[in-house]
Amino acid sequence: MIFFFLLLILVLAAQIAELFIPALPWLYNAHVYIVPVIVFYGAMALPFPLMLALALYAGVLLDALTVQVIGGKVEISTGSSILLYGVLAGIMHGLRPLFARGRWEVHCILSGIFTSLIVLAQYLMITFRRGSFVFNREIWWQIGGPGLIAMAVAPILFWLLQWMGRMTAYPYGPERGRFE
Amino acid sequence: MSRTNIIALLIFGAILGYFLTFGPDMTQKFKSGVYQLLSPFLTSGSGLKKQITSVRTGLKSLEQLERENAALEVENRELRATNNGLRDVEHEVNRLRHALNYRERSVFKLIAAEIVARDSSTWWRTVTINRGKRDGVEIDMPVVTAEGLVGKITTVSNNISVVLLVSDENCRVAASVEGSREQGIVSGERVTTGLSPLLDLNFLTKQADLKPGQKVYTSGVGGVFPSGLLIGVVKTFRVRELDGQAQLTPAVDLSHLEDVFVVTGRR
Repeated sequence: MIFFFLLLILVLAAQIAELFIPALPWLYNAHVYIVPVIVFYGAMALPFPLMLALALYAGVLLDALTVQVIGGKVEISTGSSILLYGVLAGIMHGLRPLFARGRWEVHCILSGIFTSLIVLAQYLMITFRRGSFVFNREIWWQIGGPGLIAMAVAPILFWLLQWMGRMTAYPYGPERGRFE
Repeated sequence: MSRTNIIALLIFGAILGYFLTFGPDMTQKFKSGVYQLLSPFLTSGSGLKKQITSVRTGLKSLEQLERENAALEVENRELRATNNGLRDVEHEVNRLRHALNYRERSVFKLIAAEIVARDSSTWWRTVTINRGKRDGVEIDMPVVTAEGLVGKITTVSNNISVVLLVSDENCRVAASVEGSREQGIVSGERVTTGLSPLLDLNFLTKQADLKPGQKVYTSGVGGVFPSGLLIGVVKTFRVRELDGQAQLTPAVDLSHLEDVFVVTGRR
């Protein structure tokens, strides 16, 4: 349980930190997203109910801090990030047996793909609301860039979270064979 | 699936359903509430970021000094470092004096604000400022600098507010062109390719024939932005099938904003 609360604190800290990390001009102004990587690690390491709670928490934060209400219109409905996180974390949770065997690489790659999927879903929603369909090189990089960055930082973050799990004597980590 | 998991899924679904029913007003209140809760972290995070940036800048200038002045003695280097520090202070004083002068000579009632965070998401161009309801800031108030228009307020909590920048596709401003009768709507582009975004001035007549360098001001139509605020300068003009469109360079360097003013009314 301590580990779960630690993840909640980390998600909050990462969500705030993201506000201060500037977009990367050399990657077509792609943003850096750390929260999805933490959430997806949680999805592998936590039991199903706690995984849902983490996805809910991260989704609420993402909706509250990013979605804009402009001229009385909401382009991305509140709750859509919860749904996205819930579905993607659910898929990640389904791959727990691999994680239990200590196979991290699949989850690192998936963390990147899923991060890009979240950005893509947001873009599709605003495209639908704004009524014009634009897909150029910059947009693809702004969607794919965060995924590539997430993929790159995932091994380090996973290692850190794994270490924290051990420090807090968390029983559901890999190499322990205690998955249901 | 175990019973616990089913119950967890049902609770998750119920909460999700509750959030999905939020309309714009509820969303606005929800956002304000969360920003209110997080405002201490956001303001202290901004201070921390400034400290880190200043340390980085200091290290960079030291590296340069070492490269260029390898032969200089230690005392000389210390003096140069002190000078650099003083130059930073001088820059800060000049910046604040410039801001203060603008506030004094402006025809608008202004609230000075500092930017604490920027661009929270890929798809909206926003900055967060350290002024909120408590300071008299309200939704849709224009935000400016001495150079021109910055954007408008979209979310307000007690201590902080979110500003939608003029470079966002959703920030639409009624505009008029200096030295002509042309009027149009300025909006940002969905994607910015470089560090400095460009603005589009749409719905001009085909005969507008705007020249590079012509200034574009707010026309005051629509009620949100008062007239006479500089938005940008014409970069290019092209004729489309139904109208004319100009591309503008924003008057304000939106990527390096530090201090802004919220317009609360006219004097």
